[in-house]
Amino acid sequence: MLAAILAALATAGFADAAAAKKTRIAVLMYGNKAEFVQLMQRYGKTHPAVASGLADLTFYDGRYDASVQNDQAQLAINARYDAIIVNPMDFEANIPVVTKARAAHIPVIVTNARLNSEDMDSEIVSNDVLGGYLEAKAVLAKLRCKGNVVIIEGPIGGSGEIQRGQGNDKALAECPKGAVRVLERKTANWSRAEALDLMQNWLSKHHGAINGVIGQNDEMALGAIEAIKAAGLNVKSFAIAGIDGVTDALGAVKAGEMTSILQDARAQMQGSIDLALRAARGPGYRPLSPIWNQYAPLGLKWNDGRSKHYYVPWTVVTKDNVDALLRDRR
Amino acid sequence: MAAPLLVMRGVKKSFLGVQALTDGNLEVQRGEIHAFCGSNGAGKSTLLGILMGFIAPDDGEILIDGRRVRFTDARQALDAGVAIVQQELSAIPHLTVAENIYLGAPPCRRGFVDFKRLNRQAEELLASLGFAIDPKAVMESLSVAAQQLVEIAKALSHRNANILIFDEPTSAIGEKDVERLFAALRSLAATGKGIIYVTHRLSEVFAIATAYTVFKDGARVACGRVCDIDRERLIELMIGGAMAGEYVKGNTPASAPLLDVKGLTRAPRFHDVDLMLHKGEILGIYGLVGSGRSELIETIYGLHRADGGSIAVAGKRLRGGGVPEAIAAGLAYVTEDRKDSGLVPCASVGSNLSLSILGRVQHWGIIRRKAEAAEITKAIGLMQIKTPGSDQLVRNLSGGNQQKVVLGRCILTDPKILLLDEPTRGVDVAAKKEIYRFMSDFAKQGGGIVMVSSDLEEVLAMSDRIMVLRHGEAGEAFARGEATSGKLMLAAA
Amino acid sequence: MRGSAWHIWGETSFRKFGIVAAFLALCVLISILCQLQVAAGEWSDNAFLTAANLLLILHQIAVNGILAVGMTFVIISGGIDLSVGSVLAFAGMVAASFATSAAGVTPWSGDYVIVVPLAAALLAGAACGAVNGWIIARFRIQAFVATLGMLLAARGFTMSLAEGNPISSLSDGLRWFGTGELLGVVPVPVVLFLAVFALAWIVLNRSIFGRYVYAVGGNEKSARTSGIKTARVKVLVYTLAGALAGLAGIILTAKTGSAQTGAGTSYELDAIAATVIGGTSLTGGVGRLSGTLFGALIIGVMNNGLDILGVESFYQLIIKGVIIVTAVIIDPSRKQAAI
Repeated sequence: MLAAILAALATAGFADAAAAKKTRIAVLMYGNKAEFVQLMQRYGKTHPAVASGLADLTFYDGRYDASVQNDQAQLAINARYDAIIVNPMDFEANIPVVTKARAAHIPVIVTNARLNSEDMDSEIVSNDVLGGYLEAKAVLAKLRCKGNVVIIEGPIGGSGEIQRGQGNDKALAECPKGAVRVLERKTANWSRAEALDLMQNWLSKHHGAINGVIGQNDEMALGAIEAIKAAGLNVKSFAIAGIDGVTDALGAVKAGEMTSILQDARAQMQGSIDLALRAARGPGYRPLSPIWNQYAPLGLKWNDGRSKHYYVPWTVVTKDNVDALLRDRR
Repeated sequence: MAAPLLVMRGVKKSFLGVQALTDGNLEVQRGEIHAFCGSNGAGKSTLLGILMGFIAPDDGEILIDGRRVRFTDARQALDAGVAIVQQELSAIPHLTVAENIYLGAPPCRRGFVDFKRLNRQAEELLASLGFAIDPKAVMESLSVAAQQLVEIAKALSHRNANILIFDEPTSAIGEKDVERLFAALRSLAATGKGIIYVTHRLSEVFAIATAYTVFKDGARVACGRVCDIDRERLIELMIGGAMAGEYVKGNTPASAPLLDVKGLTRAPRFHDVDLMLHKGEILGIYGLVGSGRSELIETIYGLHRADGGSIAVAGKRLRGGGVPEAIAAGLAYVTEDRKDSGLVPCASVGSNLSLSILGRVQHWGIIRRKAEAAEITKAIGLMQIKTPGSDQLVRNLSGGNQQKVVLGRCILTDPKILLLDEPTRGVDVAAKKEIYRFMSDFAKQGGGIVMVSSDLEEVLAMSDRIMVLRHGEAGEAFARGEATSGKLMLAAA
Repeated sequence: MRGSAWHIWGETSFRKFGIVAAFLALCVLISILCQLQVAAGEWSDNAFLTAANLLLILHQIAVNGILAVGMTFVIISGGIDLSVGSVLAFAGMVAASFATSAAGVTPWSGDYVIVVPLAAALLAGAACGAVNGWIIARFRIQAFVATLGMLLAARGFTMSLAEGNPISSLSDGLRWFGTGELLGVVPVPVVLFLAVFALAWIVLNRSIFGRYVYAVGGNEKSARTSGIKTARVKVLVYTLAGALAGLAGIILTAKTGSAQTGAGTSYELDAIAATVIGGTSLTGGVGRLSGTLFGALIIGVMNNGLDILGVESFYQLIIKGVIIVTAVIIDPSRKQAAI
């Protein structure tokens, strides 16, 4: 009897100790100047595990430089973090983050942007090909598959531009052959100001011929909207779409100026934290973020955190759901 | 008779339609120290530039040891045995003396610089010239005089240098080193080298040169042996007419004190210096390089803050308000090196002249152009500056006219006192006299002049009183007529 | 080199008109390339050579042009300012914080009467510039290093202001500075740019301060000996550059409709490029605002023309690099006396 009590106490003590031990997670972000990244960081801090002190997050700013991120990965490994979450700058160049983490037996989760590798423990991303497809579909639907469009791309060679571009092309192929022409296709490097100048030049060149704008992210679509306004044209007569769901884009959707395909920063960030905790703490871990319940009906399954690929569904933002999303942003 | 070492015949060159050389001729024999004289703008620099390979001639021929040569770049001239010691120091400050001497061709061992050999060679070279300089010393730690000596050693380091050109080599070095330099030149000439010596200091011509060539307006007007000519005749040839005396002195000092400096100290350059300047007086300050002369003047002018002592102009004490206060009190300063700190080289003559008095010709901060132009014209007239126009870039002017621009800028501020540091450095004989006349007139009208100079003749000829500065302290003082070169050199050592 | 009539004419004229000739040559080249497209039936008309497009180019160079005016003063004075891009972003963020209807982005944010955001932004820019000038003059630190520090610090200020978030929902009053039009035709940024240029021209060429700037850049020691308060000139020059960066920040923020933390990144390079292409020498003492104007126009025409022609952005960068280096190589004021 005494032995049983002692054993129970001992295991309880161990369990408590295990429960009390904080999981230190290093979160490597590719940069910090985009609103999306800021949102991810905000949602990371509000994850129940982080708020309760179960997990401890340290954010690293990769300064938009893949090699800096690789160095920061090494830093995190040397500092013996329990898990690494990475939002990589470059599809190929940041594979060493995964390789190094693996070699050091540290669990690594990829989120938001993708890596050309299968070695990570899991990735929780939104399918960029699907995103590109959805946004292009929204534009083409408004145009009824007839007219001229321009595509404003992300940085050439980045996974965003490659995969969203593939999605754009898939949607365009679904229109009758020759009915829709892509007049211009050039990068504005995710920048609103660059897209503004670019769109102005295109409007000047093609006066009146452009009907639709497919911006591979919201910032650039917003820049295009400003250019259209500056040229004195009616924004609502254009079909414009972007991806991400940043606050200004939500406002523009509400004003009827564009469609946005919302990428759920909270789902990606908090989902990756849950996955990291599962990998670091072991089979007993139950996911604490509400996003799993939120997206379960849409097909996102926890699967004990063992799946390789988790695809967070996109949310097509329309006038119907935009108010709820805006409220959520406050 | 052996063929001359160097013959330059019928050399012509023009720049932008201006004929710099119409008939350049120069013959230098082996073993000669050949003085090359002429006013600024006579074509000396152009001829030497052609000899050095920097400039391509329009016409004419160059023969070295009877062989025709044509240089398209400086390297070829160097290989042919022509080396120059520039007037402007061009040393690399952070490298050592030895590294500077053998810049471009250091002794190597298997691809690496052989520093042992480098230092040894440098030491031997310096010893053979009698220069007491440590080859391992860093250039910027040396005094200006020592740096000049290193430049000279550098020219002589080229083994096959047969024709050596020295351009105003003594402008920065003191008397003792001048003696060493002359000794070195004589021994070099004795080994059969030909030395071309360019200078405005005529006494040096007669001290060291064995032959001379005079240039005027782009052509040779005379040549011969120095022993066959005297100073007056030389000047006549240079300016194309007789000059009644090289100096102008028409002022008489009064007794009213103008500048009263007491106990001025600025460690470590100079301490406890007293200086008194009266109205209408020219005070000469003589001292060796490093004696603190320039720093003293700069401190009086407010460019540096003094550690102790007082400065009073016409009875009013200066309060450490820097240069603007000094100018307002009536001081004006002509620096030792006009290119370094006297002129703005990329600006026009007019802009340089009006720089100190812009406050006088403005209205709500905007410059009144007519008023400014009037002041500029006044200055050009006062100083007799030879320039095609006030828009001309000041760096295109001859040395003498450049110096006049600096003086002109000073004079426009209506100064009571002129502080002049080497006022005739790099200025030819005719322009020198104009500057002396200007000084004399200024003093005649009641102004006071403090003149720092390392040219003994100039100091003796122009000063009413002479103060010697020695290692940063006031040494002996002499009244006009009391001093001689010997006494001054003794007092300064 | 033979001295000849050609040479003399070439030397003097080139100094004055070289940059204009280069600009016109570029315009002609692009027009021809566009015309070829029209001739080949690809395009319906020459999109480059229309009044609307040329006005657009002016609109697009306004921000860089204003930065370049400030940069010209700084470079003529013998210095350089690497921080203008970051200061632009900081000032833009400050302006936005006082002219936004979004709540709580900063402790003081709100929609104030337009004078407040304008004054705040200009003051913010001027303050950064004054700090630059003071550090350079007082501690004799190289301009490159000091302004590099401000480049980083100001970027930090920008991000810390709204905790890394952009500020949008700007007031109409502020937006007018980017999107408004005077007389219904001329965009406000263009008017501001031309006004800044005209005022700056008067100051640089006709005022005492301008003369002092040239003197300090030409030979600082000589300037000091002449009685010029060189430290004060330096502080003023950098303050001016900072204030102009502030104005540029207001315009860019108004144009894009949002103050972004990454705004203005690398804008200092374009400002320096415009200044250098225009003939201002990096060693100081030499330069003209008219040159900077054409330098900015060349960059603007290049960006616009190459976009219209559909040239890839990497080629655009290469071409811009080549133009800058070429401009410096043929810079007439680089010529030194032979010996």
